[in-house]
Amino acid sequence: MDGLLSFLSALGGIVTSIAIVDVIWATLLGIIVGMMPGLTATLGVALMTTLTFNMESDRAILILICMYIGAIYGGSRSAILLNIPGTPANAATSLDGFPLARAGKAGSAMAIATTGSVIGSIIGMIALAVVAPMLAEFALSFGAFEFFWLAVFGVLVAGQLTALDDPIKGWIAGFLGLFVAMIGQEGIHAIPRFSYGSTDIAGGIGLLPAMVGAFGFAEILTVMRHEAYQVVRSKVDSVFGGIRDAVKYKVTAARSGLIGTFMGLVPGVGEDMGAWASYAAARQSSKRKDEFGKGSVEGLLAAETGNNAAVPGALIPVLTLAVPGSAPAAVLLAAMVIHGIRPGPLIMIEFPDFVFSVVAMVFAATIAMGVLGLLLTRPLLLVLQVSRERLMPIIFVLCTVGAFAIASRMFDVWIMIVFGVLGFILRELKYPMAPLILGIVLGDILDKSLRRGLVLSDGDLTPFFTRPISLVLWLSALLFIVLTMPSIRRGIMRLMRRRRGTGGGP
Amino acid sequence: MKPSRMDKLDFVSAIVLLVFGIGVLVESLRMPRLEDLDINPYTVPGLVPGLLGVAIAACGLAMLIRSIVRGGWRLGLTGQAAGGWLASAALRRSLVTLVLTLVYAGVLFPLVPFVIATPIFVFVFTVTAEWMALGRRPPALSLVIALVIAVVAGVVIGYVFQNLFFVRLPGG
Repeated sequence: MDGLLSFLSALGGIVTSIAIVDVIWATLLGIIVGMMPGLTATLGVALMTTLTFNMESDRAILILICMYIGAIYGGSRSAILLNIPGTPANAATSLDGFPLARAGKAGSAMAIATTGSVIGSIIGMIALAVVAPMLAEFALSFGAFEFFWLAVFGVLVAGQLTALDDPIKGWIAGFLGLFVAMIGQEGIHAIPRFSYGSTDIAGGIGLLPAMVGAFGFAEILTVMRHEAYQVVRSKVDSVFGGIRDAVKYKVTAARSGLIGTFMGLVPGVGEDMGAWASYAAARQSSKRKDEFGKGSVEGLLAAETGNNAAVPGALIPVLTLAVPGSAPAAVLLAAMVIHGIRPGPLIMIEFPDFVFSVVAMVFAATIAMGVLGLLLTRPLLLVLQVSRERLMPIIFVLCTVGAFAIASRMFDVWIMIVFGVLGFILRELKYPMAPLILGIVLGDILDKSLRRGLVLSDGDLTPFFTRPISLVLWLSALLFIVLTMPSIRRGIMRLMRRRRGTGGGP
Repeated sequence: MKPSRMDKLDFVSAIVLLVFGIGVLVESLRMPRLEDLDINPYTVPGLVPGLLGVAIAACGLAMLIRSIVRGGWRLGLTGQAAGGWLASAALRRSLVTLVLTLVYAGVLFPLVPFVIATPIFVFVFTVTAEWMALGRRPPALSLVIALVIAVVAGVVIGYVFQNLFFVRLPGG
């Protein structure tokens, strides 16, 4: 009940003050960023963090959440109209959205995507309000052993899920991220590691310049490497039929919302997997499987509900464990720390109202997203007319100034450049970026927890494996990894087919 | 079986990772053990970096073995293949982008006043990229639009950061 009151008072605060203006412009800007191929939600939130640096914390976090939600939704527009996902989270959207647009139903497709995104966001938001306080309380019993496993679990699972065909590359990306976190003074004895006499490096690699590089500069290099896309003008039909269509598939919407939220909750996995998993589940249980990939309303609805549900889902571990559920959520976590909020198990004790004000922010952004998305369907088409040749240099200027503005030092600009080039190379070699970023965030937790745990147990490794929560964490990580290994997955499928084959025979 | 392009790239990246992982391990072993400070030996700074070095090297080794099995070691580095790669438009676009951005971030941004450096960069980048996309000089109207965007971007971004966010930009 206290939570509901906190939520209502926070929401009242947003609606009745100047904050409502922030909600509108930040969500709209998010939609525009998401729509533009090459500009991801992560980049949008990272650049916006540098822009909201001097604002008071509530206002800055509100703007960042609006940007995040708007961008994940905005990516559906370019997926539907251009067959280019605006952000990686909208890749599944283009499978059915683009065929619908080609069949002259672009307006309906955008309305289905909007409705799905709103439903997904609301389901995720409810989960955030219910699960976050419980998880925070549960996490109070976490000690060094549990946090160690949580970090290992996060990096391995994120590596596995973001590189399903080749998990080893996902793990390598995660380990490289953890290594980056080792650079600079360590947290127990303040001994500088891998800094070779440089005071700048001894201060450590900042997450924000690294992210602006890996998601901004690397993206510019990737976009410019490929041929320019053709800007198309498509006819847009009425949006109202789409909303009706979306409501017809309420079971798909509800299921996708829950799957998306869960995918958001798993460390580092995020919106793309939220969309793909919801899409796969929708196809599995659909009566019209053959329509998937050819313009299925259900498929489009599942993908867009799934990715937006993952946004509040990803905020749950950010707030309660200080472990990001996705790459944009990692930036949001860094932004919260910059603004003096300490996410983690103590959040309900130290900042009791904060979780519910985040819920209110998500709600305000969701409503703004739905209203703006439907009202501005036609004007927003203009965004897709902007050519990459004109957009990319401005984005690079923002990456440079943004990286510099964090601490007014050129060192961060160089970090941005280095991570941009490395990110570009790793991406071309098919190493995923999300586990790398998660590794940078979790490196410090892993390092301190392992060493503190060893001190507590006097070098004994048994508690790492036998304490109840530790046991559950490492067993589930192991089970998950074994079950999703490509070779084992194929083996299970073969076994299931064989059993079905013999069962179905006379 | 003919190795795919990714198998060959994996072969090269696996060697880099293996060497890097071993390097990290060696550096971690060389880190101070702080014996004279009488610290708990389980808290030595090199512990986690060393484990990470082992993990990276192990993954690199696994990838190396896999790529050798798939034939990725047959890189097929003939003069013709290298020539084709060097002449590709994708590589040219990547390199031009890289050079222009490095000149801006490394030279123009720190040394030249922002309102001058930024329009120069935005204009040159836009025109060069359009030129490469079209294969000929962009029409006059495109040049004018690029110039207007460049000047507006320089002035607006500079104003926002310097006057609203109070960031002292290095070039002044």
